[in-house]
Amino acid sequence: MNLFLKRSMMAAALICAIWTPPNASAQPSWLQAEAIQAVLQGAAPIQPGVRLDIPAVTQDGSSVQVSIDVDSPMTPDDFIDRIHLFALDNPSPELIELSLTPLAGKASFTTRIRLDQSQTVVALARRSSGEWLAAARDVRVTVSGCLSREGTYRSEQLMQARVRVPGQGRQGAPMEVRTLIQHPMETGLREGPDGAIVPERIIERFEAAIDGEKVLTAHLHRAMAANPYLLFMIAPERSGELAMTWTEDTGVAATERASFEILR
Amino acid sequence: MLKRITIFEQKWLRRAVIGLFAVCAIASVSGCSANAELQEYSAPEPLDAAAEGLSLFERRVEVIAMSCAACHGTDGRKATAIPALAGKPFPVLNALLLAYRNDQMPDATVMPRIAKAYTEEELRAVAEYFANITPGAEE
Amino acid sequence: MTMNRNLTRRESLKWMGLAGLGAMTGFPSLSLGGDAPSGHIVVVGGGFGGATAAKYLKRLAPSLDVTLIEPERRYITCPFTNLYLGGVRSFESLWHTFDELRDELGVTVIHDWAKDVDVEGRRIQLSGGESLSWDRLILSPGIDIRWGDLEGYDEAAAELAPHAWKPGAQSRLLRRQLEEMEDGGTFVLVAPDNPFRCPPGPYERVSMVANYLKNHKPKSKILLLDAKDGFSKQGLFMQGWERHYGDMIEWVSRSNDGLVMRVDADHLEVETEFGTIHKADVLNVVPPQKAGFIADRASVTDASGWVPVKPRTFESQLVAGVYVIGDATQAAPMPKSGFVANTQAKVTASAIIADLRGLPPVDPSWANTCYSLITPDWAISIAGVYEVYDELIREVPGSGGISPMDVGSVFRKQEAENARAWYAGIAHDVWGTRSLS
Ligand SMILES: Cc1cc2nc3c(=O)[nH]c(=O)nc-3n(C[C@H](O)[C@H](O)[C@H](O)COP(=O)(O)OP(=O)(O)OC[C@H]3O[C@@H](n4cnc5c(N)ncnc54)[C@H](O)[C@@H]3O)c2cc1C
Repeated sequence: MNLFLKRSMMAAALICAIWTPPNASAQPSWLQAEAIQAVLQGAAPIQPGVRLDIPAVTQDGSSVQVSIDVDSPMTPDDFIDRIHLFALDNPSPELIELSLTPLAGKASFTTRIRLDQSQTVVALARRSSGEWLAAARDVRVTVSGCLSREGTYRSEQLMQARVRVPGQGRQGAPMEVRTLIQHPMETGLREGPDGAIVPERIIERFEAAIDGEKVLTAHLHRAMAANPYLLFMIAPERSGELAMTWTEDTGVAATERASFEILR
Repeated sequence: MLKRITIFEQKWLRRAVIGLFAVCAIASVSGCSANAELQEYSAPEPLDAAAEGLSLFERRVEVIAMSCAACHGTDGRKATAIPALAGKPFPVLNALLLAYRNDQMPDATVMPRIAKAYTEEELRAVAEYFANITPGAEE
Repeated sequence: MTMNRNLTRRESLKWMGLAGLGAMTGFPSLSLGGDAPSGHIVVVGGGFGGATAAKYLKRLAPSLDVTLIEPERRYITCPFTNLYLGGVRSFESLWHTFDELRDELGVTVIHDWAKDVDVEGRRIQLSGGESLSWDRLILSPGIDIRWGDLEGYDEAAAELAPHAWKPGAQSRLLRRQLEEMEDGGTFVLVAPDNPFRCPPGPYERVSMVANYLKNHKPKSKILLLDAKDGFSKQGLFMQGWERHYGDMIEWVSRSNDGLVMRVDADHLEVETEFGTIHKADVLNVVPPQKAGFIADRASVTDASGWVPVKPRTFESQLVAGVYVIGDATQAAPMPKSGFVANTQAKVTASAIIADLRGLPPVDPSWANTCYSLITPDWAISIAGVYEVYDELIREVPGSGGISPMDVGSVFRKQEAENARAWYAGIAHDVWGTRSLS
């Protein structure tokens, strides 16, 4: 095979990853999934433009990194206001819902999820005009022979958060924010050492705001990986302070703040 | 060096005997005697099969047996803390493999984990494969 | 029932006698029968996968023309490099030659690099200018480092902060740095995310380095910064570390800010995802990896940098007639180990010969056993057997697994002896090495 052929094959692979619009006769089956219809309410995603990055094969279903990136100018007139992520064959398919404002600058985030088995992962994104975009990827989950896995969560660190916010940025150039909070994200499906079910206990909400103005809110479900991780973007106009709050289903919350300077 | 090998071999043989007992135990439950099995066994008959191709099953067993060489040396000829297999008596090899498969080998390390991946028929064929290799010099 | 059993056994005896006959007459062919297959098979790489493939092609079908291309006259294994670093094994004991392949099996061994592959013309170009045509091509090129993927880690940086993940000069450099380190210094190892060569490798490495430091520089510390939240045989490793090295080894998981984002080799510093700077006295970076470059030249890699293969034969999914084995492939759940490369080579040799004879490939079986030494007398293992099910590779249900958690030193010592015996066995099988230096 020559180089040209190879390039075009790789390009083809990329194009497939950005899902092409379905025509009425050939709707992908994942569109019909209950969890997805509950969000779409019959609306059909009509445009490509969601990039869903997830390994095709993963050797550790307990923490699979996934990135979503949606083409959007993120201006007050035209931005992505919601992103949903699903793992269709998990015991509960919902993973996370994000609601965004133009202050994010870029409709892009990275997180880590749990995959119970090989399955299809679906991302839906809604434009502020109300149109839905979508992407789906098949992921194969294997437990590698050399990778038996145990939990690494340490109880004394519960609700300890780590954040990384650039101290300085330029106006109009979105900046990357990394966050992580120590939490077991107990699914309520697992047996403890005594054989009894460990009750569900999760971080259920994450909010980020700059000087009181919302950038993003996330609703997390139990299939998010332990120690919830979220990488997202902010594009503030002027210097200020980013506040990030995690809330547990018990009502307990933790907040971290970081200030930054914006150069013009 | 020679002495060392002998000690390991003895240890290995002791295990083989334990394994054989284990097999006898199962065999007597299931109504057929492992002793009969032992007596019945004789050297393979001469063959005229040189022109005959191997069946799928035989080729699969060949692939399985070749994977043993990754620890036991090519053709199972390497004798170390891991014993050589080439030319060992079929009943011993077969009994051992079955005992590993059925978790009847005290102190076993990796072999039970491996033997459980195969059917008894495959293990028997693997035992025959190595029993039929002329030992030659163990390396 | 007895009748039936006897019949089955007699049948397999017939076949076994056949194989035995081969061995007795010194004729190395096991798969007798059918037409003797002919053709030229070119194998690239004389490591665990390639050398085994060349050897077993010749053993299974001596009528084949087999050429092995490998730049080095002496292959140095990665397995047991960690023991060398730990001061419990000589460097020379890791060396192997291609004498058996060339002199006893009649493989043509060319010491050169394969530079480029013309998959349509079925030709391969060597650095020395020669070009060869093939009927079937097997690539077992191992890994290449993704230079620059980890900010600041390029080839120049590796001269200061070695990876020692491909054997040779890099291992010697790391050993020298350990010898020169002062008592009380910090050894930092940066471990990559999956997939990478030898999943338990980084953890065995810190064990063996700890073994050296405990005996020679007991005030020193080891910091293991990990891009993952869990690792192979984790419970067994951590139990062993605590027992033998107290708190000398600290493992930092990804969720505890173990992910290294930037390397400053000049100052032996690394920066993590959340901005912590760690200073090392000896810095060992195991960087992100991909298939050896020749796989790219043969157009068999995909966007991941690894090679997708057909599970039954390991023929490339992208180019017919090109087979890829070993670390370069996407063969999960099989790990990237020398043991796996060895058994993949055998399955592929069998499949190629079947194909040349117009026969279907068999239901394959691959195996793996990875030993890790925590001290010279305390080892743990993981074993697995793999099969094709539903056209995908999977671990055979009910088999495989790791050493038990709570056993005494006798069991662990037995596994340490088995580890050394395994090395001797596989060296015998791959390169015909009869005694180790
Ligand atoms: C520290 C460490 C410890 C390990 N311990 C173990 C262990 O205990 N057990 C185990 O099973 N595995 C272990 N491994 C893994 C093992 O080393 C690899 O899985 C194995 O080497 C893979 O075999 P391969 O044939 O794919 O590649 P390699 O063995 O790397 O062989 C590739 C060969 O191809 C040659 N080559 C590359 N490109 C070309 C080209 N273009 N032209 C010609 N020749 C080329 C290279 O020179 C090399 O000789 C360990 C690895 C490391 C790093």
